[in-house]
Amino acid sequence: MDPVRERIELMTRRHFFGRAGGLSIGTAALASLLAERPARAEGGLPGLPHFAPRAKRAIYLHMNGGPAQMDLLDYKPKMADWFDKDLPDSVRMGQRLTTMTSGQARFPIAPSKFSFKQHGQSGMWVSELLPWTAKIVDEIALIKTVWTEAINHDPAVTYICTGHQLPGRPSLGAWLSYGLGSMNQDLPAFVVMVPSWSSKANAQALYNRLWGAGFLPSKYQGVAFRSKGDPVLYLSDPPGVDRATRRTMLDTLAKLNQKEFDELADPETQARIAQYEMAFRMQASIPELTDLSNEPQHVLDLYGEDVKKPGTFAYCALMARRLAERDVRFVQIFHRGWDQHGDLVNELPRQTKDVDQACYGLITDLKQRGLLDDTLVIWGGEFGRTIYCQGGLTKDNYGRDHHPKCFPAWLCGGGIKPGVVYGETDEFSYNIVENPVHIHDLNATILHCLGIDHRRLSVKFQGLDVRLTGVLDQNPVHAILA
Amino acid sequence: MIGLTATLLIALGASDETRGLARVDFNRDVRPILSDACFACHGPDERTRKAGLRLDTREGAFAALKSGGQAIVPGDPEESELVFRVESDDPTIVMPPPDSHKTLTEAQRQTLRRWIEQGAEWASHWAFEAPRRPAVPAAVSNPGWVRTPIDAFILARLDREGLKPNPDADKETLIRRVTLDLTGLPPTLAEVDAFLADDSPEAYERVVDRLLRSVHYGEHMGRIWLDAARYGDTHGLHLDNYREMWPYRDWVVRAFNANLPFDRFTIEQLAGDMLPDATLDQRIASGFNRAHVTTNEGGSIEEEVYVRNVDDRVDTTGTVFLGMTIGCAKCHDHKYDPIRMKDYYQLFAIFNSCDESPMDGNAAKYPPIVQVPSPEQAAKRAELVAARTAAQERLALAVGAIPYDGSIDASRTEYVQREDYVWVDDELPPGAQPQGGQPWQTAAGPDHPVLSGSHAYRNRYEGLGQQVFERGRPLTIGEGDVLFAYVFLDPVDPPKEIMLQWNSGEWKHRAYWGDNLIAFGADGGPERKPMGPLPRTGQWVRLEVEAADVGLKPGTKVTGLAITQHGGTAYWDKIGLWTWTPQEGQFYDTLSDWIRSRKALKLAGLPEEIKEAIERPRSERTAEQLSRLTRYFVEHGYAAAQPALQPLKAEVARWEAEFRALDESIPTTLVSQERAEPRPAYILERGEYDKPGEKVERGTPAFLPPMPAGEPVNRLTFARWLVSAEHPLTARVAVNRLWQQFYGVGLVKTAEDFGSQGEPPVNQELLDWLAVEFRETGWDVKRMVKLMVTSSAYRQSAQADAEKLQRDPENRLLARGPRFRLDAETLRDQALFVSGLLVDRLGGPGVKPPQPEGLWEAVGFVGSNTAVFTPDTTPEKVHRRSLYIFWKRTSPPPQMATFDAPSREACVVRRERTNTPLQALLLMNETQYVEAARALAERGLREGGSTDSDRLVYLFRLTTGRRPDADELAELSAALDALRLRFRDRSEAARSLITVGASQPTVEADPAELAAWTMIGNTLLNLDEVISRG
Repeated sequence: MDPVRERIELMTRRHFFGRAGGLSIGTAALASLLAERPARAEGGLPGLPHFAPRAKRAIYLHMNGGPAQMDLLDYKPKMADWFDKDLPDSVRMGQRLTTMTSGQARFPIAPSKFSFKQHGQSGMWVSELLPWTAKIVDEIALIKTVWTEAINHDPAVTYICTGHQLPGRPSLGAWLSYGLGSMNQDLPAFVVMVPSWSSKANAQALYNRLWGAGFLPSKYQGVAFRSKGDPVLYLSDPPGVDRATRRTMLDTLAKLNQKEFDELADPETQARIAQYEMAFRMQASIPELTDLSNEPQHVLDLYGEDVKKPGTFAYCALMARRLAERDVRFVQIFHRGWDQHGDLVNELPRQTKDVDQACYGLITDLKQRGLLDDTLVIWGGEFGRTIYCQGGLTKDNYGRDHHPKCFPAWLCGGGIKPGVVYGETDEFSYNIVENPVHIHDLNATILHCLGIDHRRLSVKFQGLDVRLTGVLDQNPVHAILA
Repeated sequence: MIGLTATLLIALGASDETRGLARVDFNRDVRPILSDACFACHGPDERTRKAGLRLDTREGAFAALKSGGQAIVPGDPEESELVFRVESDDPTIVMPPPDSHKTLTEAQRQTLRRWIEQGAEWASHWAFEAPRRPAVPAAVSNPGWVRTPIDAFILARLDREGLKPNPDADKETLIRRVTLDLTGLPPTLAEVDAFLADDSPEAYERVVDRLLRSVHYGEHMGRIWLDAARYGDTHGLHLDNYREMWPYRDWVVRAFNANLPFDRFTIEQLAGDMLPDATLDQRIASGFNRAHVTTNEGGSIEEEVYVRNVDDRVDTTGTVFLGMTIGCAKCHDHKYDPIRMKDYYQLFAIFNSCDESPMDGNAAKYPPIVQVPSPEQAAKRAELVAARTAAQERLALAVGAIPYDGSIDASRTEYVQREDYVWVDDELPPGAQPQGGQPWQTAAGPDHPVLSGSHAYRNRYEGLGQQVFERGRPLTIGEGDVLFAYVFLDPVDPPKEIMLQWNSGEWKHRAYWGDNLIAFGADGGPERKPMGPLPRTGQWVRLEVEAADVGLKPGTKVTGLAITQHGGTAYWDKIGLWTWTPQEGQFYDTLSDWIRSRKALKLAGLPEEIKEAIERPRSERTAEQLSRLTRYFVEHGYAAAQPALQPLKAEVARWEAEFRALDESIPTTLVSQERAEPRPAYILERGEYDKPGEKVERGTPAFLPPMPAGEPVNRLTFARWLVSAEHPLTARVAVNRLWQQFYGVGLVKTAEDFGSQGEPPVNQELLDWLAVEFRETGWDVKRMVKLMVTSSAYRQSAQADAEKLQRDPENRLLARGPRFRLDAETLRDQALFVSGLLVDRLGGPGVKPPQPEGLWEAVGFVGSNTAVFTPDTTPEKVHRRSLYIFWKRTSPPPQMATFDAPSREACVVRRERTNTPLQALLLMNETQYVEAARALAERGLREGGSTDSDRLVYLFRLTTGRRPDADELAELSAALDALRLRFRDRSEAARSLITVGASQPTVEADPAELAAWTMIGNTLLNLDEVISRG
């Protein structure tokens, strides 16, 4: 936000209005002014995007808790021979452990119980737990070698979402709406959804800060759509107040506020009039958005049977597509429950069942509408899990602790080269042997697809030029860029 | 673009008129450029310094370059390498280099060139030199406008800019402005009328004095401080459980109301615990250091969490008191300010020795804590302690009066051995509930056999029958124990089978004698253990059953018994356990018996002197020991004494229970407490907890004055040093925040950063004058507040015009009165206040007004005690001031967060003020705002006169403080008529609107009429004029 520029814009608008005298400026004039949709994004920074973006918008599917990579996307066939053998010290190399397993006497290897097959033209290896994802491997770029420093949930998820392990920084979506502005005047630029999940024993907490604005003005924070009640907080008029009544109230309000502006000339007053009008429009546009009655059956079928249940991941995935269609800049879905310290063999399939088909549905649906060309989709968690077992290991079941040193993410759509696998981990899925991608690099890649040079998107805060991607040199992963 | 540059320059302090003529001021004009564009590579951080050039010190800037030449040659831009480099077009030469992504504007290049031309006068960074009181400008254009020294500084500056201040705002605007600013609440109409009626020159000052005396002043000032203190009601990380800390919040309010001088306010929060004879309040204040977010996440590494906790304390202290971003020096020497890593870790060493576990245990009472009883609780506690003591004394007297003849012990042993413990004799165990509620069937001699006491239990049945009890005082099974019971079978009418059943929570332990006719439990095992044939008839026979054989393991508590039989007649007596394990409620006839039982318990729970006496061989016990032992035994173990002592013991226990209950209900709060031995501190490489380097001692950064010699180097001395006379930052930073509060923007806009990356003050002389004034008048906060709000600058009308807006869009120079949107809390409090709903009680635990469903649930950790939001419902809670709203830090109250309230996860000293559609939705539709609109409407109908017009005027005055003009009144009247039409014939809709909220309408009115007025209330509460303070 550049207050000077903003004010001058407002001033200009005010002159455009003219000071034709108090209440004579009618709502009609106001409405027509406000109805004008700017051709370019509203808000946003001058000079952004830095270069022609390949994606105009993004959808981030965050799998919260740390999905077990070796059971899903990082195929480690040799581990079958290592059942219950100790993880060699030469592999662990003194890597720090969480205090949940640092007291274990042994670190016995738990090979994945799940079978893997190669799929598509790309021949990508995918676990039997992700049969639908397997159908879209030729659309996605899989990075097997994302890594982070954090080993516990709160710092790790705060880190990947805000670029910093401690609270207080703007989230990815806040940076995007701050930098690029909004493309839809009737909807927020950054929408968050928090669907239900099935592995109830393994849910970590979320925090509003994960979609917060940090030190940026709060208007850039994500708006959390809710599955119960109003999708947006306080959207509905109070009981007994219909649209016409609200219009009457708003007309009076606008006239009185305009008079106030005519007397004091505070540009904030003018802005407020506009915000009330936008609120009124949102009251219409959001119910329209969440009304799925005109979605044809064959589209619903893509996402799976959960899609009609508000609050499921499938429902949120469909909503994400509808938001993308309406040019909402950034949508982030936080699916909880991926923290399988124990009973992984039973719990993990519940989680994949929640999301697998819906991910397929979302990509397929975006593609068939031509939206995938300029929409970036990201899938991933905050860290991975250990190859060694936490707790009791049997042939039939095991648990896994947090593992920060490698975990997968996939990207798809605008700006991404499809059908690519990037990076390699060792046979234990413990260390990266080729092409590490720090979470800052991953965020830099996302920004890059949206036309942002991550080094040049910074805000001065407490004397520092703060960036989403930290202070060290980070780079987009060019190998997966189209 | 030209307009843009011009306004920017105003914001930074240089004017059009002065540009090109006046001298370039190093601190104001040059240092910000160097700092922003150059220091990253040519600043304090040695490791990243390029070409050996250092531009943040005079020596560095004027030194000979390695490459020859000199970066800055005073008076000679052409010879200055710096000018050559910044003006070059060649990408390989130009500074800053392209890969830094920094560029200089033409104006900035000119400034550098002109500064060198003018002699390149160097000055230390303004904020690091102690402020000296500047002379108050005397020559100003309009001396009559000057009410306070503030005005002289403001006007002198406006004169230079050729701007003129506005006249005073009208009185209604002024009283609303100052009342909201000082108390966070609007004025009442009576207060407005009194002010309007008071024509004396002191009228306004009287209002200010009255407001400064209001308890709501402390609430409002305190609420703002709590952002800086990062106060919340939950831990903030991971589980985010409830954390009890509101007594600290209430202390802050009290401190402002009591006008605690700011130096003491500072010392008590940073080190109140270390003050000599620290009072309870001073200890509560020290909770400031504990208010940071904490975690107990499984798997966390304690050392890492410890470092983060201390980092937060250092960062917060830096931001709040020093106005410095010290945190940057955590990982490397500061890029812009002269703070080295070593300086950071020296400060770290001051804050690293608070005596707590790094992990919060997910506990509300995360130690160290103190109890904070209310006066009533303190009185009640003293009362209970006295009552308990008196009861204890009565008990002691009674014990002393009971004789015990020790001669019997001479023949008794003191070693542990098995003995019979009789559980059931003439009485069932205390608490036993016989089946069906009937007492057990008994029989007495001489017609019936009796073994012990006055009677035996008699079973006589045709077929299967039994007597059963449950929930008796338990029998505790010990190692190797044997259950026993005595039975007498009638030889004339013997049973076919007898069975004993014991209950351990379930009926699964049985033994039987005779035919196997009673088919309870699995046959043959512990559930139905065969014991052989029936015992001999016509005499008392002792039956014995190994506890292990019926599945009763050591430690098991047996609470029920059944004597079961098939046909015939049997008598039972004396049922119990052969054991060496002492039993609950067991008392003893002799001291020796009791000593044996204590030895079986390994003397657990006995006072040391009693243990000693028991452990000593009997022959060596002194008379004194024996006497003590005997007294103790009489009180706790002597069977014969118990009937007399029981009521007295019960009384002691009752007082004790009451005391405990009260004690647990007393609120607590987290406090600081210094460890006896300080923890060592090290420079942590790249800030990482597991990479300790050089050990450091406690100390303060070299660019600031040293701590006083001869004092212990600790938190307390550090706190005193902050408020010492030579300190360049503390007073400036504090008055700047006050300025920001009343004028919208600080004199230094970056209230959190007075370093070289922060904004230089828009009027340094004024800032310095205020800082010195503040310090020299005893850090008197109310005095400083009064000074600020009685100035002409403050009292001006907020009316802007095109020139003022164009020249000074942010109103930094104050050629007009400050006008800005109210804070989240003030908005809500105002709505509750004007509608008459506000419950203005002070202090206490957080309250939970309603919020939309599911917000906590959406993020909450399963198992957190704040995972589910349960709203309060009573007006006494939900209509309290917003300061008291329960603050869950991972999901802050939406009514607050939507209006820019910070999450309180980290220290914030400057709130944003945004203007969004979500705010509009909230103010129009949120339950409490709708309820307030209705209550406001009711006030109009009840108190506002009898005509529409009178009532509209009344409501308009309540909300804005002024009368509407004719146009406004006409507009509102038209709206009222339109709304009446909308609700006519829609009484259901009307009714549902007017019943929103925790309170219900009390005015007798047609629902449609009240609904229409409610929408008028809703309109008024959404007016820009009401949302803002102008």
